[in-house]
Amino acid sequence: MASPDGITLAHGLGGAKDLPISPELAIAGATAALVISFTVLAIAWRTPRYDAATSGRVAPPGLAAIVDSRAWRITWRVVGFAIFLYAVMVAVFGKDLAINPILGIVYVWWWVGLVPLSLFFGPVWKAISPVRTINLGFAKISGSDPDRGLFEYPERLGNWPAAFGLFAFVWLELVYPYPTELGPVRLWAAAYVAVMLVGGALFGNRFYERADPFEVYSTLVSRMSVWGRRGEQLVIRSPLANLDTTPVRPGLVAVVAVLFGSTAFDSFQDSTRWVKFVQGGDTSPYLLNNIGLLAFCVAAGAVFALGCVLTGLGDDLRRVELPNQFAHSMIPIIVGYIVAHYLSYLVEVGWLTLIYASDPFSNGSNWFGTADLPLFTWLSYHPTFLANTKVLAVVLGHVLGVIAAHERAIRILPKRHQLTGQLPLLFAMIAFTAGGLYLLFAA
Amino acid sequence: MRRVLASTAVLMSALTLATACGSDEETPSGTSDPKVIEVTFDGDSVTPNGDRVEVERGQDVQLEVTADAPGEIHVHSDPEQELEYTEGTTTVTIQGIDQPGTVDVESHTLELVIVQLEVR
Repeated sequence: MASPDGITLAHGLGGAKDLPISPELAIAGATAALVISFTVLAIAWRTPRYDAATSGRVAPPGLAAIVDSRAWRITWRVVGFAIFLYAVMVAVFGKDLAINPILGIVYVWWWVGLVPLSLFFGPVWKAISPVRTINLGFAKISGSDPDRGLFEYPERLGNWPAAFGLFAFVWLELVYPYPTELGPVRLWAAAYVAVMLVGGALFGNRFYERADPFEVYSTLVSRMSVWGRRGEQLVIRSPLANLDTTPVRPGLVAVVAVLFGSTAFDSFQDSTRWVKFVQGGDTSPYLLNNIGLLAFCVAAGAVFALGCVLTGLGDDLRRVELPNQFAHSMIPIIVGYIVAHYLSYLVEVGWLTLIYASDPFSNGSNWFGTADLPLFTWLSYHPTFLANTKVLAVVLGHVLGVIAAHERAIRILPKRHQLTGQLPLLFAMIAFTAGGLYLLFAA
Repeated sequence: MRRVLASTAVLMSALTLATACGSDEETPSGTSDPKVIEVTFDGDSVTPNGDRVEVERGQDVQLEVTADAPGEIHVHSDPEQELEYTEGTTTVTIQGIDQPGTVDVESHTLELVIVQLEVR
């Protein structure tokens, strides 16, 4: 069924997609990534530079006073909860139409918008998360501590639940046949809230920190912002120094594998090769999409893990620990690729969602005065600028990832393996970047 | 660190320069002849089967449809276009699309992508 506004229910959000980048641009980007990788290896520092205990400059006292104030925290809790209540309202009482703003709120504002917000402002989801707010409310009412649950959060679980949660979300978006119908989106979101509330009751706030897919994603991306903490103190760090403070936990590599693999599969799904393959055979597209998404995530994780473990080691570290030790170096690569993949979508469909938000019940009302705003399509009309920005983002992400991995290698690998030990991971990263550029060219 | 940053900066600017030449922000001509695509529906399959077709901005696309049953074609442009065809031979026209991008043209009936238009 079609809606009068040009967006269909059967087809995901948004009509037209980006044009493919030119082969010259893809090759230029891949070459730059290759050259820079070996340049970094050849000329970068040889002793570790970043130390979480000392890195960063103390933020100006005025700024720290504001950010650490009770009023600031409450303000963002209120803002987050107001948006949450609005989303619940349109999800429950809105019509099952593509102009229902809930679809854009979930797929664009929440899923994609969280990345730039966290990149610029730090761990945003932690500050506005409605599930944290509800947990806090329960704790206030019962007089308990929101940080503590009935049990200790098991260390072994680490970020694994978040990896599964992220996979569940990308499955809804990319594999489930009706991702833009109201019912399934509402069900998914309700299940998310339910699991989060139970988890918060059982394990306290630590559950959100380690298992909430959106908080883990947002906080990981915020490691590339300039905002960090040294103990309790607000500090301003270089993004690379900040990234180096990412806690190493079980399942971290699974989180980055799902984020990178699913975004790559999203691109691949639009390529002629995949479309022809799926439509040419007798196998059900649903089954093929399931296999495809899983295969991309597993392959991303396997290539990365292999790149990490193929090195000489000292006695102080076990080989199986290496992938999680290096997993933070995938974050810049993921962010660069997310920018490339989602930039026009975020800006244009995100803007469209703001227009729809004024008409929550699809009856022509104009709650916030945004209903009559014109569409924002500047990026689509400047495809060369868009393509250049995408490739620059991918290459820049690659460079930062390589430097982050280099720093970790010289910190944890024994001296004689530091250079050779980095090579397999370097090749894995070049493969990711070249693969990402290929998909931007092919899709 | 300085040297890394400096080399990075040099390479990035070289990349920018290498790719920044050529601008594509011209206005659509709108005068060109329509692009003609033959489309054949046969049972559960369609030809072409998801091919890419380049069209100019604003250029109309004529689909010469041969079908064994009537059905509907969706064009996922903004705004969306819907085209109906009958059993036998029908010619339907996709109005020229102004906004650059990749636009899916789908058989709504079969849930298959017929072509993807690359509007440049």
